[in-house]
Amino acid sequence: MATKSLGNPFDADTSLTHTNDCSCRLCQAESANPSGLADDDQRLVLLEQQAEQGEGHSHSAEAGGLSFDSSEDLLDRAVESAIVRGVFGHNDTSRRNFIRLMGGGTLATVLGSMIPLEKVKAAVKESMGPLEKTKLKVGFVPITCATPIIMAQPMGFYAKYGLDVDVIKTAGWAVARDMSLNGEYDASHMLTPMPLAMSMGAGSTATPYIMPAVENINGQAIVLHNKHKDKRDPKQWKGFKFGVPFDYSMHNFLLRYYVAEHGLDPDQDIQIRVVPPPEMVANLRAGNLDGYLSPDPFNQRAVFEKIGFLHILTKDIWEGHPCCAFACSQKFATEMPNTYAALFRAIVDATHFSAKAENREEIARAISPKNYLNQPEVVVRQVLTGRYVDGLEEKIYDVPDRIDFDPFPWHSMAVWILTQMKRWGYISGDVDYKKIAEQVYVASETGKVMEELGYTPPATTYKKHIIMGKTFDYNEPEEYINSFAIKRV
Amino acid sequence: MASLNMKATLLSLLLLLVGLGIWEAMNQVPAASTGLSEYERMMGGADQEARVPPPSQVFSHAWDELSDPFYDAGPNDKGIGIQLAYSLYRVLTGYLAAALIAIPLGFVIGMSPLMHKALNPFIQVLRPISPLAWMPLALFIIRDSEGSAIFVIFICSIWPMLINTAFGVANVRTDWIKVARTHELSPLKTAFLVILPAAAPTILTGMRISIGIAWLVIVAAEMLVGGTGIGYYVWNEWNNLDLNSVIFSILMIGIVGMLLDMTLAAVTKLVQYED
Amino acid sequence: MSRHFVSIEGLSKVYPSKEQDLVVFEGANIGIDKGEFVCIIGHSGCGKSTILNVMAGLETPTTGTMIMDNKEASGPSLDRGVVFQNYSLLPWLTALQNVSFGVRARWPKWNKAKVDAHSSHFLEMVGLSGALHRKPSELSGGMCQRVSIARAFATSPKLLLLDEPFGALDALTRGVIQDELLKIWSETQQTVFMITHDVDEAILLADRVLLMTNGPHARVAESVRINIPRPRNRANIIEDPAYYKIRNYLVNFLVKRSGQLSGSAGQVGGATQEVDPSVEINPKNEQSAALKAAI
Repeated sequence: MATKSLGNPFDADTSLTHTNDCSCRLCQAESANPSGLADDDQRLVLLEQQAEQGEGHSHSAEAGGLSFDSSEDLLDRAVESAIVRGVFGHNDTSRRNFIRLMGGGTLATVLGSMIPLEKVKAAVKESMGPLEKTKLKVGFVPITCATPIIMAQPMGFYAKYGLDVDVIKTAGWAVARDMSLNGEYDASHMLTPMPLAMSMGAGSTATPYIMPAVENINGQAIVLHNKHKDKRDPKQWKGFKFGVPFDYSMHNFLLRYYVAEHGLDPDQDIQIRVVPPPEMVANLRAGNLDGYLSPDPFNQRAVFEKIGFLHILTKDIWEGHPCCAFACSQKFATEMPNTYAALFRAIVDATHFSAKAENREEIARAISPKNYLNQPEVVVRQVLTGRYVDGLEEKIYDVPDRIDFDPFPWHSMAVWILTQMKRWGYISGDVDYKKIAEQVYVASETGKVMEELGYTPPATTYKKHIIMGKTFDYNEPEEYINSFAIKRV
Repeated sequence: MASLNMKATLLSLLLLLVGLGIWEAMNQVPAASTGLSEYERMMGGADQEARVPPPSQVFSHAWDELSDPFYDAGPNDKGIGIQLAYSLYRVLTGYLAAALIAIPLGFVIGMSPLMHKALNPFIQVLRPISPLAWMPLALFIIRDSEGSAIFVIFICSIWPMLINTAFGVANVRTDWIKVARTHELSPLKTAFLVILPAAAPTILTGMRISIGIAWLVIVAAEMLVGGTGIGYYVWNEWNNLDLNSVIFSILMIGIVGMLLDMTLAAVTKLVQYED
Repeated sequence: MSRHFVSIEGLSKVYPSKEQDLVVFEGANIGIDKGEFVCIIGHSGCGKSTILNVMAGLETPTTGTMIMDNKEASGPSLDRGVVFQNYSLLPWLTALQNVSFGVRARWPKWNKAKVDAHSSHFLEMVGLSGALHRKPSELSGGMCQRVSIARAFATSPKLLLLDEPFGALDALTRGVIQDELLKIWSETQQTVFMITHDVDEAILLADRVLLMTNGPHARVAESVRINIPRPRNRANIIEDPAYYKIRNYLVNFLVKRSGQLSGSAGQVGGATQEVDPSVEINPKNEQSAALKAAI
């Protein structure tokens, strides 16, 4: 994650919107011009050019390495950061210009006299009002995508915010949905398309659901049976049977996108079946499936069980794609706002912790036992640390962000999911993409919590995404759908 | 000479040992070399292909599990004893509820041809519906996974008891009813003193069939719904592709099922009479 | 005509059908005095069992009534005990419990000790004191029938109805049980109505034997007095001079006259003739002689 670092708001040289050694056009332009880019329009133009050219920001977790001695320091910094940026209307350049002129210390003093910074920091750290309910049930499906939700229990993140949470292992997505709808779970691990589908009433009675946080980005793979080692070109996959964990899942949509880009129609040329993730490996071995796009650790498990190999990591299809989410009903958030806020913070905090590479091994150890994932630790470790074998070649790969954790629920991601749902006929009729996306993916709230906890959320909630080299413009969803040769619409 | 029972027992044991021996011999795990490289460890060991674990492994695992059957390490990890207890609780609750309705209703149907004809179409339509098909509807209406599991047990175990009771009651020998009549027994007394004991073996046969079905259904229901229970335990171990545990839990399911059946067989013996 | 203890008047049983109603029997008038032992004999299908079932209250007649002890009797009652042809013992109860079943139905307020004592007494009377705790499956046919008899007698019914009780037994067992029946009856002095096929049995046991003609349209043709003094004994009874006269008369009826006298042969209606074959008159000349003997 950490495209935005918690830079020192009183430092003129720290950009709060890009990592320190970011080399994107914008940063290059800014560093070229000592007074920074004052022109907002020019910034936008540069941003768009950047997206079109498929340039990304460098995302290595070590970049912009900041360390805090404690999460309290983190919170302190967050408060300062929020206030300072609030003063400057979130215009990073004007903040830096001001500091260059007046000096960071002056700014701090001036602010300090106007706003009681210490009191504010203390207030934020205090609980946000009494918790309506401390004993909660949060469902999870035992896959590595749910890592933040799961590890928050044994590693004490829920407890830190005054919550006593039971993380309940759930048999599958349909059950997670049903238990959430009937109130047995207060919140649950879900697939990113699910809150959208549930709010729209696709596949269940329409109930407004919100998704305050994405759990993981990347972290999946397409696995093929060992007998297909010679069929690496998707065009050879005609007639294959693939498994996906659920209809309303990124797995389904990514698989369809991938094969469609290679000229195969996912409904005519291949067969896509819904199979619960644990059964994917068994079905592969039995020959019922030729391959699957499944959540880990079942991709790695196929390699471990010597039945399959990793054909491609999903991060190589869409770098930074969302996968699983933390969701709850709107009712829960409005009726128990303080509990909701505490839970939300715990999750965001846990997500940030999981993002750091140095924590991954410890987390793998914590979540592998029977109570949680119930998988061999060596498999989980390969997924979380990104140091793995692919079952094809005798070498060990190192892809640290094979799976990554970033809670920000981009509205543009929601719009992309909605376009794919429309493309494949899961929803029909006129869709007000932006309205639904903004209603369900509460990006602004997430942004606020991220700030409070000391991470810098993105300035906007929409951005252009690049998937397999093709740009997705969130402003033109219908055109995007129509631009594909293979579709059901 | 050894009695028939003794001979049969010895033969059974012999067959078991031979079977286990063959299974063990065919599934020997290759001896691990001195140390596995990191690559090999990541690839899951030197074994070329995953295999069914040999009985020795299953037994040692069984020993581990059974020596501490009641541990509780969190909501998703409890000992086999606790899991079985949860499942038994659900089975017995649903089963008893079914019995409380099936037996009186069966009486009514058995004694009244009108009720029999009127209720028969419903029975015939509802009887063949699989428990797993009831599950989504139950979850939707009852909105509670525990309640739904118990309901599914109820709706599947009620039919054998109902049908057998009706049959048993309807087929009580008229001679015995005549005895009751000539002794001026009230309908209630006739039901309890003559019809019930007369139909009891048939009713209990129905109950024995039902308990078998109920036990079968709970495992499937728990696999769908999760929570705590032996079905959930099997599913959890299945997730981990841990065949040791899966085989062990299957054996436990079989043993408990057998015990339930034996209990009801013993009760049936109590009410059995020769005619 | 003295008023009888049990009086059956105008009994008939008709099964309606599309073509022609089936009249099993009609116009049956039977009078039984208190303490009398009456047997009824006839071929199969003449309706004797139906008469018995009506008397037991297990069937309703098409026409006719039954009056016992000055009260109309319809429906089953403990006052009319029944011994069924196939014993009808409840197989899950022991011999003692079977008898107690009846006793408790009759006297529900008795405590267990009293019930058991009463039941055991009757079982002893039929010679089964050693088999009190055996279930019917552990008893021979003869023993089962004895339990059935004990059960019937134990409830002290005003009228005892026996439906061919020894039909399923072999001749030797039958003999033994007949003796016991006589013994128990002489003690209790109950009124008994019994169906039988066995002529010798009827003569041994009964005060009177009713003769039923063949069905359909069967009727109770004659009432034959058994003029042999009591106590009777199986060994000695054949030496009584009246024995063979009565026996021949009865056999003759069964072989020849039951068909001739039946309603379907044209002889409809007609009161039951009272006959005493022991009187030294040609049996064929029944009319006057029988009347004289009966009064």
